[in-house]
Amino acid sequence: MNAPTEFQLDVLSISLIVLFYVLYGFRRQWNSPLRNGPGYFLGVQVPPGFYSGPGIRWLKHYHFMVILLFSVMGLTLAAMVVAGRLDATPLWCGGTAIVFVATMQGFVAWTRHKIGANPPVLATVAAPLEARRLCDYVSWKLEAFVTGIVGLSWLTLFLRGHHVDWSNPVTTTWAILGLLPGKIVLVRSSFPLPPERTEEHHRLSEARRRYSLRYMDAFRWCLLANLAAYAVIRSWAAAQGGWLNWAFVLAQLVPWAFFVALMIRGEQRLAHMGRDLRPAGSWSTPFRPARLMLPGGLTWFTIWFGGLIGLLVFYQG
Amino acid sequence: MFLSIDADDKIPIYRQVVDGIKALIAGGALREGMVLPSVRQVAGDLGVNLNTIAVAYRQLQDEGLVTVRHGAGAIVSATRPQGIDQSELRKLWRTTLTDMVLAGMNDREILAAAREELALLRKKGEPR
Repeated sequence: MNAPTEFQLDVLSISLIVLFYVLYGFRRQWNSPLRNGPGYFLGVQVPPGFYSGPGIRWLKHYHFMVILLFSVMGLTLAAMVVAGRLDATPLWCGGTAIVFVATMQGFVAWTRHKIGANPPVLATVAAPLEARRLCDYVSWKLEAFVTGIVGLSWLTLFLRGHHVDWSNPVTTTWAILGLLPGKIVLVRSSFPLPPERTEEHHRLSEARRRYSLRYMDAFRWCLLANLAAYAVIRSWAAAQGGWLNWAFVLAQLVPWAFFVALMIRGEQRLAHMGRDLRPAGSWSTPFRPARLMLPGGLTWFTIWFGGLIGLLVFYQG
Repeated sequence: MFLSIDADDKIPIYRQVVDGIKALIAGGALREGMVLPSVRQVAGDLGVNLNTIAVAYRQLQDEGLVTVRHGAGAIVSATRPQGIDQSELRKLWRTTLTDMVLAGMNDREILAAAREELALLRKKGEPR
């Protein structure tokens, strides 16, 4: 078996992204309006008979938007492959993510504005009286291990690296280390629960929190594997060819596959847990806007994601 | 174990928090040594101002029911409030009873309401 060239590795990573979008993203987005059952459209409570009247038009518009978004992604990706600009893959990922999130959130906001007031603002709300300690959610030993691997990769690149393209380690390191503040914000994020079926709502919100943390960890393992493999390949001539290259590809594939499987499993489980829970609430501010949740999460995401895009644009330029 | 508040209630939110925690202590759900979440967490979880919860915790501390630790939540330090004797409580009870009688409730209704409230209080201590 021949060692993979950089071109082959790019094609492989693009294939994985496409596979992920097709398997997970498209299917999930397509079915998203009905995730809370037939009485809801994208988490917004709708009157009975909605889907035999105006709901059909809303669904059509939504599905048209999903097809359009995925088509634009696919076409730009195909254009990149044809033009041989596979080096722009990270920029494509970031750019499409921004367009995708902005369009979807715009549609959700428009739906809320047009169809009904959601989330319902409840006068009576409940909160669990259990202390949420950071150490119950974040393992500091694991964080130290991750930071250690990052440090070791940088040390290796500094001491032994040949023809190092610093955009890779810089961007990856930013993404890896920036996830820890995100995890802390996630643990501290909070919102009120409805007074009915509080226990179940609490279980769902805790499961959502735990899964989100696991997604972040799994995503970080993907990035860490990428950084460590890059450091080894660029530092040892022997590692640049032969079967070892395939081992590095495998080392990056396994965390990626785990990440995708976890996302799919998590989404299924959370959807199952929340399907019958009423009121349905929304992704950001269920039942009543929480004053402490949004600023922290938004600030972190803006800094982390904005920095990531900034670095990608800077190095592409 | 949950704490609930009603924004439309005439009783101030801090008072509802105090009463809610006291009810959980009285029902046995909160025992001595148990850790309560931090002011920040409770405020976020209920969607209310930090100061509202801080005032409630301070009140509970003044009554000797909890000990607040800076940045690390609070601990239930006692299950009986300090500085309140039974005659004080009877005065409060008398006021409520007077209001109930003036509201037109008869003895049986008042006793039934008292039993119901007591049962609710005990129920809060049961594991869900």
